[in-house]
Formats: sequence, structure tokens, C-alpha cells
Amino acid sequence: MTKTARKERFIWLDIMITLVALELMSCFYYGMRSAVLGGICIVVSLITEMICLRLMSRRFTADDLTCTSDALIIALIMPATMDYKIVAIACIFAVVAAKNVFGGRKNIIFSPAAAAYIFVLTSWEKMLLLYPEPHAKTGIFDEPEGLVNSVSYVYNTTGKMNHTDFELLMGNFSGPAGSVSILMLLIAAVMLILRKDISAGAFMGTIIGTAFLSYIVPASPTAKIGYNFVTNMVIFAAVYIISDRRIAPKRQYYAFFYGLFIAVFSYVIVITTGKENAIVIVSVLFTPVSLGIKNLEKKIDLARSEASEYATVNISTDAKYDDESEIVEKMEDISHE
Amino acid sequence: MNKKKSSIFSGMLGNNIVLSSLMVVSPVIICGDTLKNAAALVYAFSAITFLSVMISSFVPTKLSYTVKIIIYAIISSFVYIPVKLAAQEFFPGAVERIGIYFPLLAVNSLIIFRSEAELYKLPKDHMIVKLIFYILGFDAVMIATGFVRELFAYGTINGRIVDVNTPVIGLAQPFGGFIFLGLFCGLYRCIRSAVINKKEDIRSDADVSCK
Amino acid sequence: MFLVNDLIALLATNLILTQALGTSTLFIAAGSRKNLVGTAFMITIFTFAGSVSAYLADKLLPEKYSDFKLLIYVISISMLYVIILSALYFISRNNFENSRKYIHLSVFNCAVMGTLLTVSGRASENTSILKYMAAGLEAGTGFIISALILTAAYRKLNSANVPAAFRGFPAMMIYLGIISMAVYSLI
Repeated sequence: MTKTARKERFIWLDIMITLVALELMSCFYYGMRSAVLGGICIVVSLITEMICLRLMSRRFTADDLTCTSDALIIALIMPATMDYKIVAIACIFAVVAAKNVFGGRKNIIFSPAAAAYIFVLTSWEKMLLLYPEPHAKTGIFDEPEGLVNSVSYVYNTTGKMNHTDFELLMGNFSGPAGSVSILMLLIAAVMLILRKDISAGAFMGTIIGTAFLSYIVPASPTAKIGYNFVTNMVIFAAVYIISDRRIAPKRQYYAFFYGLFIAVFSYVIVITTGKENAIVIVSVLFTPVSLGIKNLEKKIDLARSEASEYATVNISTDAKYDDESEIVEKMEDISHE
Repeated sequence: MNKKKSSIFSGMLGNNIVLSSLMVVSPVIICGDTLKNAAALVYAFSAITFLSVMISSFVPTKLSYTVKIIIYAIISSFVYIPVKLAAQEFFPGAVERIGIYFPLLAVNSLIIFRSEAELYKLPKDHMIVKLIFYILGFDAVMIATGFVRELFAYGTINGRIVDVNTPVIGLAQPFGGFIFLGLFCGLYRCIRSAVINKKEDIRSDADVSCK
Repeated sequence: MFLVNDLIALLATNLILTQALGTSTLFIAAGSRKNLVGTAFMITIFTFAGSVSAYLADKLLPEKYSDFKLLIYVISISMLYVIILSALYFISRNNFENSRKYIHLSVFNCAVMGTLLTVSGRASENTSILKYMAAGLEAGTGFIISALILTAAYRKLNSANVPAAFRGFPAMMIYLGIISMAVYSLI
């Protein structure tokens, strides 16, 4: 087993641990229905992934279990009372249309979870954006009742926040099943960054971009900067969607600006249109930007390796450069080419 | 001889203009959301394309490419007028529903480019058969797209309600058309590849295999 | 802030992402950067100049002859086609051979004709020529944006990792579909 393959599995394991912790928080607030929802997502994704791999004549390996983390992300960005059929369709869409059609985990283009979220948003918007109140537990087979708008919706449209900071930190407010547990998300973010499982640059870019704009253009005169992090799935998306190492640019410097621009765009959309959870939509719209940056990174790497090879050959044949500036010029020439 | 024959009939399955050459995809993506729209488009496309190509086939081949292209476009724009008037009679409301995609059919790639590059080089009888199969290929895709998208997006078949309890409304939108057509295209290539491999007498094409 | 909103508006009115106009041309153009630049440039010229002729046709053609609108547009685009080809031929015969394929590719496609028909459909009696021209330019810019979106993923969509049945056009179609879905959900 190669080092990279082993690393991929460890990343998946770390992410799964944090997602399971969020799922437990969700169970605490919304009951067993949330766990069943997560379970359905995992099973459907796993079966679909296996079928897709079989059709592509590829073997199912432990690395392909990454589909389960995407499945759990899908479960956590939905309301705990979401229709089981819809989440199953969303998972099938994520695995087939957003992932395996492009070649699966070896050639990821979109975040499968983000694409699935938008897919559900475009077809079942009303069901997606109505949430149960915390502690109002719905039975596994019961029809959900007393659904309300999310705190994000109220905040986006009125600029008011009717919850204490402690409630916000603990996730005791209506919203997507897993993305409201802010304290847990912050712990997950620190853990994943320290273990290099997510792109620190993209995460920091998103956080700094949101903080900067919240300070410059506040949603309302009474709004605290922190409110813009706890609403609209900003932290959840920053950790699990934008900072996804499969999607974000490799270099931290580029990843930072990638995250920053997503944050800026989504904040402006939230401020001007009140669109709920705009950050997930913008992250999909920024996929071509990320791909463009990755192409650029590849070209730079190629130019560097060619330049170093060129320099080594010339030095070995006694055609030595007088100073480093010449090597730099050569590198620039190649990168321009 | 067999190969020649199969190439004439290939317009419908083997070399479908929508799924294989990606021609005339805009109307399929945008208007192929119901069977009614699909039927109106099938009529419009078949009538405009057949008449235009037939009339255009009398244009002297000695003319320069640019002049010929312009003449083809003008002929199809003329053909569009009676076809539109007939559509208003036989498919009331269809012209309004389809909107700009109705006149756009008059400048489709099959009339303007494919006919010049391929059809007019064939003997007349072969040309007619090939053209008919190209048109049938488009019609089949359009009807299949309209049927599936209407069923899953609205839970109806030709306006009649059927028991689909979780309709995917997004499938009726343009993006649904893009995604559906992409998946349909992939499935078509997969089947085509399987058929080609089975026949063995036709050269296998690595690009279209499923593996 | 305004720039972000303008960009979103440009995406929301994008002729490919929202109307699927010129999709086939885009797929051909995205094949190489040279093709992309050449085609996008020519389509912008055709939509821009064509919108002027659409304005004239809309103003001068009596309502009862509206069925002839398509014919008038085709004739105007044909004249533009001949003028551009002739101009290129007389300006630089060396470039003529290399550039004419972009002109052939850009004329009479859904992007150009669809733009003229859309602009004309949205216009009212009071719509000025500037609005027509702006709409033509917007359509051209929309094509360029879509082309850039596709070019960014071109290598990945054609890589050996993509199943052969989906490699190329089908993958491009689904990719554009997902981007279009994101644009739609913002509107």
C-alpha cells in the first residue's frame, strides 16, 4: 500500500470521526430519526458506489469508503425530518452524476455533497428549508409537524437574532441537522487542520473573508460578527465543502484566496438577496476557479521541474550559470511557454 | 455493400445526430420537458429539415462554400414560414410554448453544415434515406427525452397523471435537460459499444467502450 | 458588492447556462485555447453587430410580416458573414486561411441566431438601439464566460479516469448542467 493511499484512508477516517460526533449531536437534538437519515444516506451511497465501480470494472477498495463521508455530510446539511426518499435520491445523484460520471474519487470535480444539496434545493426547496425545532423529536416513521424557518432565514431577512450566544454555540436553534453544532464544528475544524485532513488555507480564507465583510458591511446595526458564522452553514461549509482537499487548490496561498472569494461572494449574496446557505451554492459555482488554479499549479510544478532538470544538465556539462538570476529567468521563460 | 447500407441507416442509432454528434441539442435540453413539446418539436424539425435539405440539394455544388451555406440558411428560413403556419393549426399553443427554439430549428447544423459535408455528396436516393434516418434519430431522442422528463418531473404522461409520488421538478429545468442528456448520451455510447463488440464485424472503437 | 451582483446577473442571463444556446459550438471551441479565443471573439462580433440589424429589422418590418423576421435576420447575418470574410481576406491573406474556420463556425449557430431572437422577443417599442447592442455584447460575454468555465475542467473531463462512455461530451454536458443548476438556485 502506497503512502498516499494510506493517507487517503486516514483522512477519511478522521473526517468520519468528526461527522459521527456531529451526527450524535443531531441525535441529541432531533432524536433517532436523524441517525436513521444518516444510516440511509450511508447505505444508499455505498450500494450506488459499488454498482458504479462494478459498471466501470473497478474493484471496491477501502479508499472508496470516502463515499460514506460524503453521504454523512448530505445527511447533516438536510433537516432531520427530511423525507427518506429524497435523501436517497440526493445520495444517488451525488454518487452517480456528481462523482462517478467524472471518474470517481480519482477525478473529483465537484463536492458530491454540495452538488446533492443544490439538486435537492432546486426540486424540493420548501421541504429542504423548513426545519424542526430542537428537542421536538419526530418519530422514525412519523410525519413531521410544526416545522419552522431556520434561524438563518430569520437573520437574513430581519437582521435579528433571537438566541443567546450559548444557545448558538451549542447548536440549540433550528437549522440543518448537523451544521448548527458550532462548538463541535470548531473542535472538528481544529482537529482536521492539525492533522492536515482539510485545506487550512481555504478554511482560513473563508473565515477571514466572512469576518472582514461582516465587519465592513454588517447585516444590521445590532448584528454581531459571529452571527454570520453560525448562520447559513458558513462554518460547516468551510470545514467539509470548501476545505475539502479533493477540491481546494493544493498550495495554501491559492487555497486561501479561493476560500476568501467564496466567502466574499456568498456574503454579498446573503446581504443583497437573503439567500439561505448561499455558501454551498457559491462553492459549486467556484469549482471552475479551483480547477483553473489547479491547472496553474500543475504548470508551475512542471516548469519548475523542467527548469531544475535543465539547470542540472547544464551544470553537469560545465555550462554553469554565473548567478541564480539566470536560472530564475529560465524558469520564468518555461512557465511562460 | 453491407457496410455501406449500415452507414445509410446509421443515422437513427449508430450515428445519432443528437447523442453522437451533439447537434440540435438546445431544443432537446430546453423544450424536451413534456411529450406535447416533444411532439411539436418533432413535427417542426422533421418538416423543416426534410424540406430544406431536399430543396437545397438542387443548389449547384460548384458554388463556393460560403455562398452555399448562405443559400441553405435562406431556403430553410423560407421553409420555416409555412411550417410555422401549419403548426399553429395542428399544435395550438405549441409555437408559443417552444418560443425561440422553433425558428432556431431552421438554422440547425444538419441543414446548414452536415448536409453540405455529407448528404449532398451521396446519390439522391441514398441521401433521402440517410436524411430520413437522421431525422428519425432526432425524433426518437426527442420523444424519449420528453417522455422520461415529463414522467419524473411532473408525474404525468402526455398530461395524464400517473403514480409518481416524488417528482423531481428540477428535471424539467434547463439544467435537468443538460444532466439528463449527458447521462442519456453516456448510456447510448455504452449500448452502442456493447452492440459493436457483439457484432465483431465492425471495428471496435475504444472511445465508446464502457470500461 | 456591485461587481459581485453584476457577475451573478451575467451568469443568470448567460445564454448557455440558462438557455442552452450554442452548446455544441462551445464544446467544439473548448477543445483548444486558440479555438476558444477565435470562436468566442467571432461570436461576440456576430451577436453585437447582429443585434444592430435585429433592431433595424424590428423597427422597419411591419407587425403583419413578423413571420419573415427569421428570414431578415438570416439575410443580415449572411451579409455580415460576407463582409467579415471579405475584410479579413483583403486585410491579411495569410491570416484568412487560419481564421476563416472560426467565422464559419460562428455564423448561423444557436448562439448568434438565438441571441437575436431573444433580444427581439424581450424588446418593446421603446427599446433603444443601445439596449439591443448591450444585449448582443452581453450574449457574447456570456459565451466567453461559459467557454472559460468549460476550459477550466476540459482536461479533467477528458482524462483517462473518466469512464470511456462519458468521456468528452457527456461529461461536459453534466458538468455544465451542475454549474447551471447552481446558477438556477441563486436566481
